[in-house]
Amino acid sequence: MPLGYWEDLIGVIRVGEAEEISSKQKQVSISEFFEKNKHFLGFDTLQRSIITAVKESVDNSLDACEEARILPDISVKIHRTKNDELKLIAQDNGPGIPRDAIENVFGKFLLGSRFHAIRQTRGQQGIGITGVVMYSQLTTGSKTHVVSKIKSDSTAVFVDLGIDTKKNKAIKSGEKRDTWPDERTEQGLRIETLMKAKYQRGKKSVYQYLRMTSIVNPHASISLVVTGEDGGVIEEGQWNRTTDKLPREVKEIRPHPRGVHLGTLQRLLRDTKERRMTSFLQRNFSMVPPSASKRILEAAKIEETRTPKRIKPEESRALVSAFQTVSLRDPPTDCLSPIEDLLIKKGLSKAIDSRFASTVTRKPKASQGNPFQIEVGLVFGGDLQSEGPIEILRFANRVPLMYQQGGCLLTKALESVDWKRYGLEQPGGSGIPKGPVAILIHLASTNVQFTSEAKEAVSYDEDVFDEIRKAMLEVGRGLKNHLKKSSQRKKAKEKFELVNIILPEISRKSSELLSREEPDLAPVITQIMNAVFLEEELSWDKEKKLAMCSITLHNYTARARAYTILSKWPEGDGTAMSYNPTGGRKETRGLWAWRLDTLNPGTSTLLEFGISGLSNGEWNETDIFFRGNGEIIGATKMDEKLLEEQRKTEALEAAMEEVRKREDDAVIRKLAVRAEEIASVLVTYPPKETRTEETLPKTGAEWFGLEGDDQ
Amino acid sequence: MSDAAPRRSKEQVVDALHDVAAEMHNRMQRGDPPRMTLPVRSKSNITFDNRLGVFKYGKKKTVRDATSLGSARQLLRTLHITEFIEEMIDSGKSSTLREMYYISEGWGHGKFGSQNESNNLAEDLEIVTKCLREDFKLRPEEDGARIIGNITVEEMNRRGDWMRINCRDDVGDSGYGVPYNVEKEKLRFIEEDIDFVMAIETGGMFDRLVENGFDEESRCALVHLKGQPARSTRRIMKRMSDEWKKPVVVFADCDPWSFRIFASIAYGAIKTAHISEYLATKEATYLGITADDILAYDLPSDDLTKQDLNALTAELSDPRFSTGWWQEQIQLMQEIGKKAEQQSLAKYGLDFVTDTYLPEKLGALGITY
Repeated sequence: MPLGYWEDLIGVIRVGEAEEISSKQKQVSISEFFEKNKHFLGFDTLQRSIITAVKESVDNSLDACEEARILPDISVKIHRTKNDELKLIAQDNGPGIPRDAIENVFGKFLLGSRFHAIRQTRGQQGIGITGVVMYSQLTTGSKTHVVSKIKSDSTAVFVDLGIDTKKNKAIKSGEKRDTWPDERTEQGLRIETLMKAKYQRGKKSVYQYLRMTSIVNPHASISLVVTGEDGGVIEEGQWNRTTDKLPREVKEIRPHPRGVHLGTLQRLLRDTKERRMTSFLQRNFSMVPPSASKRILEAAKIEETRTPKRIKPEESRALVSAFQTVSLRDPPTDCLSPIEDLLIKKGLSKAIDSRFASTVTRKPKASQGNPFQIEVGLVFGGDLQSEGPIEILRFANRVPLMYQQGGCLLTKALESVDWKRYGLEQPGGSGIPKGPVAILIHLASTNVQFTSEAKEAVSYDEDVFDEIRKAMLEVGRGLKNHLKKSSQRKKAKEKFELVNIILPEISRKSSELLSREEPDLAPVITQIMNAVFLEEELSWDKEKKLAMCSITLHNYTARARAYTILSKWPEGDGTAMSYNPTGGRKETRGLWAWRLDTLNPGTSTLLEFGISGLSNGEWNETDIFFRGNGEIIGATKMDEKLLEEQRKTEALEAAMEEVRKREDDAVIRKLAVRAEEIASVLVTYPPKETRTEETLPKTGAEWFGLEGDDQ
Repeated sequence: MSDAAPRRSKEQVVDALHDVAAEMHNRMQRGDPPRMTLPVRSKSNITFDNRLGVFKYGKKKTVRDATSLGSARQLLRTLHITEFIEEMIDSGKSSTLREMYYISEGWGHGKFGSQNESNNLAEDLEIVTKCLREDFKLRPEEDGARIIGNITVEEMNRRGDWMRINCRDDVGDSGYGVPYNVEKEKLRFIEEDIDFVMAIETGGMFDRLVENGFDEESRCALVHLKGQPARSTRRIMKRMSDEWKKPVVVFADCDPWSFRIFASIAYGAIKTAHISEYLATKEATYLGITADDILAYDLPSDDLTKQDLNALTAELSDPRFSTGWWQEQIQLMQEIGKKAEQQSLAKYGLDFVTDTYLPEKLGALGITY
C-alpha cells in the first residue's frame, strides 16, 4: 500500500488562508476555520454541499484506483430523509485504506504548506474528505460511517468517525471487523454520511457533476441513484466505462525553478539538509544540472559553496530573479496525464449522442516552470440542442468545474474565437457561440491557478490562453470541414437521386402518357450534373475487424477523366492498410494514393480499402484529395506545396528522433548535419522521385490476412 | 363579358395535359433537362386588366426544370396528376384534392409532401393548360357557401335529374348549400325576386340576419362566405351579378383579413388570378364594417396586433388596394389602431343591425327598401 499516496489524499490545504494560519503559528479551532471558509470549501449553500461531498469522495476514489491501477467502479447513492437532510453512500472498488491510516485520511486537516512533490492529481483541488466528515458533524451531529477493505485482509474494518474540533483530530468509535458487504470485489471503500443539504436537478447538480466526471474518466464506471423520503427514485444515472485503459501513471517531479515563489524558496532553504548551494539547487529542482546551478548562482552573485541555511532574504530574492533569467530546459512533462484524443471522443460519446466529434490533445507546454497540457473536444449534432448557447464542459486535472463559467480562462479563450468562420452562430461576433455543440476543455497541469479559493474558475495565464485558442482553432477547422462536407454530401446525394431515380421516372411516365419511345437520358444527365462526383463511406466490417472505406467516383461529364485519388487514413502504432485490392502507394504518413484507370463519360468506379488495428467507431471521418484536371465534387484538390511541407517536417522529425536516441556528441553532430541535408534535399527534389521507393506492386497486393487482429 | 367559363371537351382537356408532358419529352429527346413554364404567382406579378376589369397575372414567367431535385419532383408529380386526371375522365369519376393527396401515396417518388403542394400543382396545371379544375374532375375540400333568399335554381342531382329549389321556401334555416361546381351543366338560374345580393363574412351575423327576416324585409339574397370564400362561392356571386344584374354588397368584420376577403371577391385573388374574369365580381361594393363605422357608431373594438399592422402595411402596396378610398380606410385604421367584429353591433341590441345599421349603410349606396 503506497502510503505516499495517502498523504496526498489527506488534503494538504494549499490555500492562502491556510498558509496564513500556519505562518502565525497559531492553533485555530478547526470548526471555526471551517465556518469561516465554507464558501471556498464548497459548503456555502445546501445545494452545493451535496455536490462537494460527492466530489470529494469520487475524486478520492478515482485517484486511489488510478494509483493502484484498478479500473474504478463507483456507486453513489443519495437518499432524502427529512427536512433538508441527505444521506450519502459512496462506494468504490479501490484499494481501501489500511486500518491505521483511516483516522488520518478522514479526520485531520493538515494545515500549512510543506515541500510537496509536483504532479497532476485531482486531490489538489479540494479540502479533502475531511471536510465532508466535518460538515456532517456540524450540521447533523452525526458520525460518518466508514467501511474499508484492503486486499490482504480477509475482513473489512467498520468504523464511525467524528472530529474533535479542539484537538484537530479524528475520534474513532464503534470499530469492528466484519465481512465486506460487496462480494463482487475483494477490496474497496464505502462511506455513509448524513448532512444538511438539498438535492437539486439541472445544470449544477450531482448528476451533471458525475456525467462530466465520466466524460473525462472514460475508464470509470459510475452510477447514481437518488431516492426521496418514500423511496421513490428522483434521479438516476449510469455511465459505463468505454475503455479498459487506465490513465497513464504520472511521475512526480521536483519543482522547476521558474515556477518557484520567494516564500517557497525560503522555506526550502531553511529546511534543507544540503550543505552547498550547488547541490541544494540540483537536488531540489528539476532541470538544474551542475552547469545550470553554476550559472544561476553566478547570476545571483552567490558563491557556490555557501550554506543554504545562511542565505539572506535579499540573496534569495536575487536567486528567484536568476531563476527567471538563466536559460533552463522546460520541465519534464511525464508528470501530466492527458486523457488523449481518442478517449475524449469515447468519453463524450458515452455522455452525449452526437453526429460528429473533433478532438485535439496539444503537446505539453510550460508556463512559468509549470508543465501544462490542453485538450479540447467538440461534438456536434445528434441530441444536442440547436437553440441557445453551446454547452461548455470545463475540466482541470480531470475534475469538472461547474461554477463561475463566465470568469474562467477556459471560457474566455473559447469566447475569443471567431466561431462564425467555423460555421457556428455567434451573436455580436464574440462570446459564447450558439448551436448544437458541446465543447470540452481540459487543462492538465501541475499547478492550476484559480481566480479564487473557490477553485471553480481558472485565472488568466497568457500561455494557457494561447494554447486553448490554438486547440479551439484546430477543432473549429474540423467542424467547418465536417459542415462543408455534410452540405456537399447532401447536394451530391440530391443530384444522384435526381438523375438516377426521378429523371428516369419522368422519362418513363411522359413516354407512357404520350405513347412515345423513351428518350436516351445520357446527354440529359450529363447536362444536369456536368461534374465528377465522389462519394466516400466509412463502415465497420465486423467479421474481419476492419475499418472499411469505400470511395465511389462517377464521371457525369462529357469527357473521359483520369485521376489519382488520395485518402487520409489513421496510420499509427498498430494500424495497417490490411485490405487494399487497388494497390497504390504511400504518399506520406497517413496519406495513401491510388492512380485510377481512365473513367469514361457516364461511368463509375469503386475504390475500397480496410484498416486493421482499430475498433468500431474509431474512424468516422476522412479527407479525400485528388490529382488531375477539373474539379471533383466531394474531394479536394491536393495541395502539393502543403504535402511537401509535411514530408519535410516528417523527415526532420524522424532524423531528430534518431538524434535523441544517440548519446554520443559526435554522432549527434553528424546526425544533425544529416538532418539538415535531408531537409535541403527534400526541398530540391521533385516529389515523384522520392515517392517511387514506396510504391507497392499493384498486382499480387491482395488480402493480407488478419494478423494483428488480436491486438 | 362572357357569362360562363369556357368549358373544354374531354379530348381538349387531355390534349392540353399532353402538351405539358410533350414539352418535357421533347426536351429530353433533344438532350435537355425536362421543364415546364408558368407565370410567377405572387403579389409582384398581378396587374389590373383594363379590358376585363379584374386583376390578372402579369408577364413574369418562371421555368421549372429538372436541374434541382425539388423541381424535378414537381415535374414528376405533374405527370402523375396528368395520368390520374386522364383515368378519372375515362371512368367518369371525380375526386377531392384531399383524396388526390392520399392517392399520391401510391405514386412512389411522385408523392406529395403536403396537401398544399398538391393544391398548388393542380392550380399550376390549370394555368398552363387554361383548363379549369372542374375540367380535371378535381373538387375542393372546403364546401361552398349557404344562400337564403327568394331565388330559384335547378341543380343536377347525382341521379342526373334536374332538381328545382327555391332558396327561401325549399330550404331550412341553414339555407341552400352551394355545390362545388356552379357552371351551367350543374346549376341553372331559373328566377329571382330580389333587389340585391349581400355576402356576409361570419356565420353568426348570417344567422342573425336570417332570424330577423332580413332577406324578406329587404328583398335580398344572403350569402354566407365562411371566411375566405371558396371558388364556387365567388363564382355563383359573379353569375348572380352578371346574369341577374343585381348589385352585390359585402358585409364583413373590420380587420385587414376581411379587406382581403373583399378583394378576392371584387378584384380577384392572387392564387387564382388566371381565372379572375370568371370569379371576380367587379361590381361588388364593400358595405362595412369600415374604420369610419367604428368611430361613427362607437363600436366595441380590439387593438390591432402586430400581425394586423403588418397585414395593413402590406395592403397599402397591394395593387388591388391602390384606390383612394381603400388607402384612406387602411390609413385611418392604422391611425386609430383598432379593429371591430360585425357582431359588435349587438352593443345596441339584437335588432340594431337590421333596424338601423344596414338600412343606413345601404341607403348611402342608394339601396332602399
